[in-house]
Amino acid sequence: MPLKGVDFTLRNSPTPKKYLIETMPGGVALLDYNNDGLLDIFLVNAGRVLNPMTWPPDFARRDPRYWNRLYRQNKDGTFTDVTEQAGLGKAGDTNYGMGVAVGDYDNDGFPDIYVTNFGKNILYHNNGDGTFTDVTDKAGVAAGGWSTSAGFFDFDNDSRLDLFVTRYLDWTPANSKTCGAEKPTYCPPGEFPAVSSILYHNRGDGTFEDVSVASGIAAKKGHGLGVAFADYDGDGFTDIFVANDVTNQFLFHNNGNGTFTECALDVGAALTSDGKMLSGMGVVFQDYDNDGLPDLLITQLPHQPYVVFHNEGQGGFTAQELETGFGALSGTVSGWGVGLEDFTNDGWKDAFVVQGHVFDNVEIYDSSLQYREPPLLAMNDHGHFKRGNAGSSVPLAGRGAAFGDLRNSGWMDVVATSLGDPPQFFRNRGGQSHWLGITLRGTKSNRDGFGARVLVNGQVRFATAAGSYLSSNDKRLHFGLGSAGQANIEIVWPSGIHQVLQNVNANQFISIVEAQQP
Amino acid sequence: MISALLCLWLFAQTQSADPPLPPEAVALVRAAIDAENRQDEDSAIAAFRKASELAPDSALVLFRLGAAYMKKGRYAEALPPLRHAAEINPDPAIHQSLGFALLAQGYSKEAIPHLEKAHQYGALGIALLQSGQPAEAVANFQVALAKNPNDPDLLFYLSKSSTALASQSLDKLLSLAPDSARAHQALGQHYFSLKMFPEARKEYQRALAIRPDLPGLRLELGQVFAATSQWEQAEEQFRGEAAMQPGDAEAAYRLGDALLQQGKMKEAAGELQRSNELAPDMPETLYALGKSLTVSDPQSAARAFQRITELEKATPLAAQAYLALAGIHRKLGQTDLAARDMERFRQIKSSMP
Repeated sequence: MPLKGVDFTLRNSPTPKKYLIETMPGGVALLDYNNDGLLDIFLVNAGRVLNPMTWPPDFARRDPRYWNRLYRQNKDGTFTDVTEQAGLGKAGDTNYGMGVAVGDYDNDGFPDIYVTNFGKNILYHNNGDGTFTDVTDKAGVAAGGWSTSAGFFDFDNDSRLDLFVTRYLDWTPANSKTCGAEKPTYCPPGEFPAVSSILYHNRGDGTFEDVSVASGIAAKKGHGLGVAFADYDGDGFTDIFVANDVTNQFLFHNNGNGTFTECALDVGAALTSDGKMLSGMGVVFQDYDNDGLPDLLITQLPHQPYVVFHNEGQGGFTAQELETGFGALSGTVSGWGVGLEDFTNDGWKDAFVVQGHVFDNVEIYDSSLQYREPPLLAMNDHGHFKRGNAGSSVPLAGRGAAFGDLRNSGWMDVVATSLGDPPQFFRNRGGQSHWLGITLRGTKSNRDGFGARVLVNGQVRFATAAGSYLSSNDKRLHFGLGSAGQANIEIVWPSGIHQVLQNVNANQFISIVEAQQP
Repeated sequence: MISALLCLWLFAQTQSADPPLPPEAVALVRAAIDAENRQDEDSAIAAFRKASELAPDSALVLFRLGAAYMKKGRYAEALPPLRHAAEINPDPAIHQSLGFALLAQGYSKEAIPHLEKAHQYGALGIALLQSGQPAEAVANFQVALAKNPNDPDLLFYLSKSSTALASQSLDKLLSLAPDSARAHQALGQHYFSLKMFPEARKEYQRALAIRPDLPGLRLELGQVFAATSQWEQAEEQFRGEAAMQPGDAEAAYRLGDALLQQGKMKEAAGELQRSNELAPDMPETLYALGKSLTVSDPQSAARAFQRITELEKATPLAAQAYLALAGIHRKLGQTDLAARDMERFRQIKSSMP
């Protein structure tokens, strides 16, 4: 359904040249930028693409039609475009928009916005008065090349959010090519050189240091599209998973000393259960089977089921796409934005996937496939997923997806992007079950509490706004409580502080401030 | 093929009786043979031609002239002397070279009687195939292959003529009984091979409507659904086939795999175990069986994967089995075994192109 007041169109400007960037945008973020308690929406636009593309490129981001947009939610549930007054309009004519990450990197209580591009990325500092300032140069986080998903997290538990930027591949108009015999189409990533991701360490003075090489991140080159964070082995340090497109997936284990070790193959999280490479797009790193350990759900291209890497404990994963039911749910579809959220508040996280093929002319190559596809809602029945009613069968060229309780109703909603289309709002129809919404406020830990492990009535969530594809989620932690009218909450903060709250009433949003001592 | 046979033939001699040659012609033939021995083909042709003018009814001279032309690839010029030689002398060697010369220029039908007389089954097969007689071509290639079972040309042409024969049979079937179950089944197979899955599905469904009792139809229709990941529909068809043919290991395997793809692990394991009992040690069945048991019975799953590594050694499936074994051993806390499995997995993968 449309979002009232949101007049955005994701203009990717496809050309007959089939420039690969055209089919990859764009992200969406759900954030409360003005701290009024209502979720706002930030949408990344792509740009105009000339045929043929010039170099340096001119994506006409000065033209308001190609601006990224910030929509402030009003009390009546409508939205107002505040892009210009917030200072978020022009995004650089040489930047083709991709994704967005949100986090309060300076712990001032206001969420900041990082936009990834083909070109240079932009960090917007939230001034706290409804405006933002482009602080990219000062912060030193422009990156360059082709950035895709990004996310804020605190890898060294110093209470300051660091920044991880996934990059796709080494592409320019000069090395661009088309694939396909009679009908040209987009080339697979293997046609282009792989690149490494970037890790920026937050110095705490408004600047970041590129520690990609020192941390070991730069040692691995891939075709990164998605990124998600969780402490998969419970050692107290947040690890990084990068969804790579037709490359081994990367799991960067945080060694706790500022370095990472890529270990996906050795721990069983690099390949499908059949030993094949995934065309990894979006990824979410949360616990789907309520065993307390974060699992991975990765979306990919058709004829390959979305992969579930079940966390077995002891630092290992097994691919369980068939056991979980995704073999039957994802055979002929292409998944991008993905979330594991409890849409029915029954205490089990369901999956929502935004879908659409990479090729806008895929039908001529394979009559069993379609470019535009409806989204997938997969209901979690004790760890096994079954098709649910997503509320719309309208096919989309789906890409980004952000998850959050847009109406503060206690029921999780979805905002998705679709190439050439307005954003799509999947409003949760709700029900009778109970719920709890938690906002973390770190004191010793980073203010957003990212990296905290939160246990509520036997369910675990790992605090993060990252995950999905190119997108940033509502940072509040949502728990479905089923018939339980109260909840017991246990939090392990990144600082190591262990905090317990008992008999908390259901059906409310609560803010939990990090205790000063365990 | 033709050139290979020609090389053999060029050393053949006619054994027929020939009228005596005038001495000048004999001298020219000797000069021509000397030229041939010097690899001077043009001089040989010139000498044979002059000899044939002096002895226009000598099959031997005409035959050698034709042969010299053929050696130079001048098939059109070889035809008149060879035709004349064949009229004079029925020697199979002359018919053989005439047949080859005709075939080399695409006169397949005309070549057939000469190649028959020469008992040149391989070349005859080619001529028959090119003349639209694939069944006869197949028979001749099989005779030729009996003598040279590993000849790549013969194997290629046998395959080609078999395909043509199948196509011809299909055309006949579609022409004589276009609404028969077999006709729809054949069309279904055709569309399936072209990945035209909706069309294939319709044809199989038409076939089933006509002859629901035909074995194999549901198996093939199920595979159409499987190819498009419509596992529920695939399961229905495979289940029907398995019920009709409970002794068919493939039907049990396909049903088990369709169940596996839907995450119905317990039932899948049952069907795959049944398939493995009907046709033991089929690697694909063992692999699917292992996958179906990985969570519920990792020890049995490990045995299935282990068996694959024994059967397959260093194939992609063996690599997959080692990867699966590594996951099981890791889960069971047997990290040394997991590391060993991963090493084997890496070894096999790195040895693949």
